Amino acid sequence: MINACVEHLEPGMRIAKDIIGPNGEAAFRKGQVIDEGVLETLRGLDLARVPVEGDKSAVSEEALLTRIESYVSDFFQYVDPDSEAFIELYRLVAERVWDAVGRGWDIPCRSERTARNVEHMRDLFFKGNASVEDLVRHETSLASFPGIYVRLKKVLDSPTSSAADVAKVVTADPGVSSKLLTLVNSPFFGLAGKVDSVSHAVSLVGLREVATIALGISTIDYFKDIPKELVDLCQFWRHSLSCAVFAKLIAKAVGVSSDRLFTAGLLHDCGRLIMYKNLPYASVQSLIHARGDSVPLVEAEREVLGFDHQEVASLLLEQWGFPDDLKVIISNHHNPERAADSKEAAIVQLADNMANAAAISSENMFVLPGMSDAAWSALGFPKEKFVELLGEHDRDIDDITKVFV
Amino acid sequence: MDKPVFQSLSLRKSPRISDSEFVQLRDFIYDMTGIFIKEVRRYLLESRLGRRLRELGVDSYADYYARLTHPLTREAELTCLFENITTNETSFFRDQKQLEMFRSYPLNESIKELKTRGRKELNIWSAGCSSGEEPYTIAMILYETLKMSIMGWRIRVTAGDLSPAMIRKAREGVYGGYSFKTTPDEMRNKYFKPTASGYRVHPKVQKLCEFDLINLNDRPAIKRIPPSHIIFCRNVIIYFDDDMKKRVIQSFYDNLIPGGYLILGHSENIHALGTKFKTVRKIGGIYYQKPE
Repeated sequence: MINACVEHLEPGMRIAKDIIGPNGEAAFRKGQVIDEGVLETLRGLDLARVPVEGDKSAVSEEALLTRIESYVSDFFQYVDPDSEAFIELYRLVAERVWDAVGRGWDIPCRSERTARNVEHMRDLFFKGNASVEDLVRHETSLASFPGIYVRLKKVLDSPTSSAADVAKVVTADPGVSSKLLTLVNSPFFGLAGKVDSVSHAVSLVGLREVATIALGISTIDYFKDIPKELVDLCQFWRHSLSCAVFAKLIAKAVGVSSDRLFTAGLLHDCGRLIMYKNLPYASVQSLIHARGDSVPLVEAEREVLGFDHQEVASLLLEQWGFPDDLKVIISNHHNPERAADSKEAAIVQLADNMANAAAISSENMFVLPGMSDAAWSALGFPKEKFVELLGEHDRDIDDITKVFV
Repeated sequence: MDKPVFQSLSLRKSPRISDSEFVQLRDFIYDMTGIFIKEVRRYLLESRLGRRLRELGVDSYADYYARLTHPLTREAELTCLFENITTNETSFFRDQKQLEMFRSYPLNESIKELKTRGRKELNIWSAGCSSGEEPYTIAMILYETLKMSIMGWRIRVTAGDLSPAMIRKAREGVYGGYSFKTTPDEMRNKYFKPTASGYRVHPKVQKLCEFDLINLNDRPAIKRIPPSHIIFCRNVIIYFDDDMKKRVIQSFYDNLIPGGYLILGHSENIHALGTKFKTVRKIGGIYYQKPE
């Protein structure tokens, strides 16, 4: 017996178990052959799954491939179907889904992908009453920063800071330093030998680089108190870490200093967290719109709220006194052409697309936001490297996520 | 099972839409519906309409456009186009806090006012009603509010949508579980009859609602809608550009009786559009009132 999702039912299949209708009586009996009429009633019932005769392995290779293509292409509806980069990503994702199905993973059907409703949420502001400025002002007036953030900023802002200063500040915060050490010891980070202390990390990676990464890590704690039922913070940070890992790997591949890109990737969606905190209902509406209608989340934000998470991040990081170069990357990762250094913003844009692509064969999927051909070409990233990067990412991401969330 | 060769997969499943074809279709859709297809949705439009092109055996979007405008094929093709470009996410009692706000203010005030004037005639318009969940919800709230006294009232909930398929489903009034994801059990038990093929809305609720194909971009059609005391238009105007938003809000304004109420989706706002409506903020949400 297969528990088939209604959208995958076909005329000629046979129902394997009685299906009980809302009135408690059998709407269809075991053995009923599905025809167009039955199919329409089954669709109307909104059942998640329908038991039909047969077994999984009986699904032909062709049928499975068609199903995979129809599932995966949904996530690629906003990208240029002639872009060599996205064609390559599409093929790789289809293959990943194939492998996942081989391991017993069920392709989620459309109704299972739509976000849940959060009816009790209320926004702190009425839309139209609240500009992005109000939102951020409200946020920063409440903020109490982790002490380490302020001390790290001092180190970063002063030209006379020494390696010992950085090591001292980071080591004083056991949470941040243990996360930092896990990170630099991950294989994707590319350091030879075991790094056993912050000062060792500073000597290998550099003072500014370590301070920047630690700065990124220290801000994660700031966002702890977001309602769980609204957004799964674990998934949020997993996506952020995925993006960070890809950003670092892409930067390395195209010859850009990569540690800053890691931090930019880690915090690329931080504007969203401010939106979740202060506009929970409207944020859920944009999540529902994104999931239910297969729209990239950034586009759904613009439609529902009238602004997007880049604008929020830009003001927020300004108020926080975040280093300028990072602020510019984060505030333009969907529009790299607007950034002073468009290459760095484009790295995070591609990393974000890759992080979304990598999640299509798991549970936290959103439509790929896409990327312009101009931004892709300017990057000079060889598309043959996608496979390698996905491999490196997959190898390390679980371990890193575990330490962070 | 052997692994197929993924390197042969292609992302392009539909013919490429040229710049001029895109502009032609975009403008046509805008003229017909007020829905503005932004450049970011270009590939989406390609794939949605590409499916239709294949069904028709048509090679280009220009030929498809010819079918959309030819007197013999126009009507059927438009129906299909509307299905392809609209979405229909809705449920019974969606956004309950806002509905409570509706009941405590616009509805209560309207009832009080009509009672004192001795004219127990109430018109509500649900614009963009999709498969009928919203107008039926409004009708149920009317039963809950007026109770037995509803007998003495003449009530009409005018419900319109662009999509013939949605109107058909709304008139039929049978719903599956998904439509109840935001619905209190009590309401479902009271106003629906479970059948083998879904929950059927009670005929007395159905009686209050009149469904019709209504295109918000079709002014003459809107002029035919009886003057409303209250208009609902939730999660519809996000698909419009500012121009169309202004026009639609203006036609709501014209349709409402003086002192009438407009209710939009929770996160929608017409603040920036500069209208003559008075904005009223209450717990549960905002409503807009046409000055007396």
